[in-house]
Amino acid sequence: MKRMRKLWTVISQTYSNQVKTWSFLLFVLSPFILIGISGAVGYFTGMATDSADEDRIAIVSSNDNIRRSYLQQNKKDVNPKITTKKAAQRALTASKIAGYLEITTTDKQVSAHYSGTQELDKSLQAKTVGFLNAAQQQLNYSRAQLTETQSKALLTQPEFKQDVHDNSNSLKKVANLISFWIVVFMMYMILINYASVTANEIAAEKGTKIMEIIFSSTSPTTYFYGKILGVVGVIITQIALYLVGGWAAFGAIKNLKPVHDILTSGGSIVKQVIGNLVNVNLVFLLLGVIIYTILAAFSGALVSKADDASKAAQPTVYLSMFAFFLSIPFQDNATALLVKIMSYVPFFSSFFMPMRIIDQSASWLEVSLSLFLLVGTIILLAVYIGHIYGGLMLQTDDTSFWRRFKRGLAYSK
Amino acid sequence: MLSIKHLSKSFGSLQAIDDITFDVLPGQITGLIGQNGAGKTTTFHSILNFLKYDGEITWLDHPLSEKNLNEIGYLPEERSLLPKMTIEQHILYLAKLKGKRAQDIKPLINGWLERFQVKGKRTDKIKSLSKGNQQKVQLICTLIHQPKLIILDEPFSGLDPVNSDLLKDAILMMRDQGAAIIFSSHDMSNIESVCDRLVMLRAGKMVLNGTLNEVREQFGRTELYVTTPWSVAQLQQLPGVGRVQTLHQTNRYLLHLANEQAGPAIFAQLTNGQYITEFSQQPPTLDQIFRMKVGETHA
Repeated sequence: MKRMRKLWTVISQTYSNQVKTWSFLLFVLSPFILIGISGAVGYFTGMATDSADEDRIAIVSSNDNIRRSYLQQNKKDVNPKITTKKAAQRALTASKIAGYLEITTTDKQVSAHYSGTQELDKSLQAKTVGFLNAAQQQLNYSRAQLTETQSKALLTQPEFKQDVHDNSNSLKKVANLISFWIVVFMMYMILINYASVTANEIAAEKGTKIMEIIFSSTSPTTYFYGKILGVVGVIITQIALYLVGGWAAFGAIKNLKPVHDILTSGGSIVKQVIGNLVNVNLVFLLLGVIIYTILAAFSGALVSKADDASKAAQPTVYLSMFAFFLSIPFQDNATALLVKIMSYVPFFSSFFMPMRIIDQSASWLEVSLSLFLLVGTIILLAVYIGHIYGGLMLQTDDTSFWRRFKRGLAYSK
Repeated sequence: MLSIKHLSKSFGSLQAIDDITFDVLPGQITGLIGQNGAGKTTTFHSILNFLKYDGEITWLDHPLSEKNLNEIGYLPEERSLLPKMTIEQHILYLAKLKGKRAQDIKPLINGWLERFQVKGKRTDKIKSLSKGNQQKVQLICTLIHQPKLIILDEPFSGLDPVNSDLLKDAILMMRDQGAAIIFSSHDMSNIESVCDRLVMLRAGKMVLNGTLNEVREQFGRTELYVTTPWSVAQLQQLPGVGRVQTLHQTNRYLLHLANEQAGPAIFAQLTNGQYITEFSQQPPTLDQIFRMKVGETHA
């Protein structure tokens, strides 16, 4: 019980020590800041593409039904406040509108006249012509006094069919590729960050007398577990913040025009990518960061002195870079033999198994086996390093890496 | 009682400690003296289980284990704190690692800060404190959880006389509360002023062990302080007198005797039945003993 309380003390100290730093805040917020910036850019771009008052036109007509109907169909392009020709002319003179369209209807014909500083915008022109055609046609039908059968016959439209081949496979490939990059990049970025933070923090404590004071209060093993669990807590906090913040940010920006367009055109890709991320891959991500953090703690404990803290993370960073770059050539070849092998090797499996999961080429049994090996290695590594941690932290030989390692082991023998 | 029996520790070919045996008794202060590299810190590290060693170390008749850590207060030789924490956070963090609850320690902090005359508020960051005040905070962290076994490695180093006295008072207070205290020091006056017992190490071997009186008396009362109008040459003619040392005070001398039995004959000759202001035959001081013992190695 007392030991648990001490473990908790170290966990909470490590946790609050890291969470309260500016670097953590910046690291967690950076994706949201990026999303915020791109959202803001999208918003203002959208605003800019919406017609400004001076780009809009006015619609005037003696036929109120025609005016209302035109207004209804072209809301964005028409200023609804201007209802009379005189008002329209004044507004045009004052450059408050681009022009005005006057639609007149007689018993036989619908006619329109546009007055403006420039030609009517092409797309609005096409819409206007379409609108006038429909109105003229309606007038024609009523004038022709056709029978019901004749009317129906004339309403018959030509048929246009499209035979579109299903492209879900290619969409899936795109989704998988995006998912792969997000997973490996997130994995790499998070673990590089925590490996550096952990290694530096432990290296900075190396050989200091505060470690002697702490080890005179609690066992090195308990302290080591507390440190690692504290960092794990920070990692979980970060992933949770990403999930909650990502969900909230998505909710906030999904109605922005550019995002909405993406969702409309590529909605299934987005759904597939999210599906690929929020599943067992998150567990691989978390465990991957944990195993590298433990290794970073170990390499931090192996520096010759606290002054070398900056070099402490190097072995872990190099290994993670190797795993990261090794995975890249296989981004669209998840069934390669090397990928299969590496998906079971701890330190590499967190990069390679998610590739196979995204590709749906790994069975649940294979995923479970990989997880089992990863969890088992984490436990063995933590227990072993926890056991020798005191010796590693208390000895301060300025010799080679292996000699320091051996002295560390021998220190407590 | 902390009991150390036949403790030995080697690092490769270096025999850091060689078969030392002594006890640290509750309610007593034991001074551990020795030159640099004599094995003092290795002894402390062995007690704290930082090292695997040969021999036996027991606390209250049981091997010292993780369970006993809450009863220990340890101050290492070099000072080291967590600079980003406030004074209160630092004291509470280490107290919690000693199994104490924050609510039990918080009310004690002000009292300890006053006792050690720390210049700073409990909300001040450690890094904003002067070196001396940081040292005092570290001492508070060592003692505030009321340890039963206190291990202090060179606690007086770097302290001015006023702060040394504050520390002495705290150590004596903890002793009076029944703690078993062991500390190392190079300054024999500190050992002499607070210690009940003394252990001296030389090159890993124990060369002295006992109460201060026992240690001093085992060298015999061979130091004779006299105040007399006699000249140095006359004093040197006295039976059993080796070297004569002139002291700073007028007509005051220190006579090093071959053995303490020479005293009565010298007294008879020097006084000749007359009153003299000083004739004091004493054992060597700890400082002299320390130098003597260290000298034996170099001889």
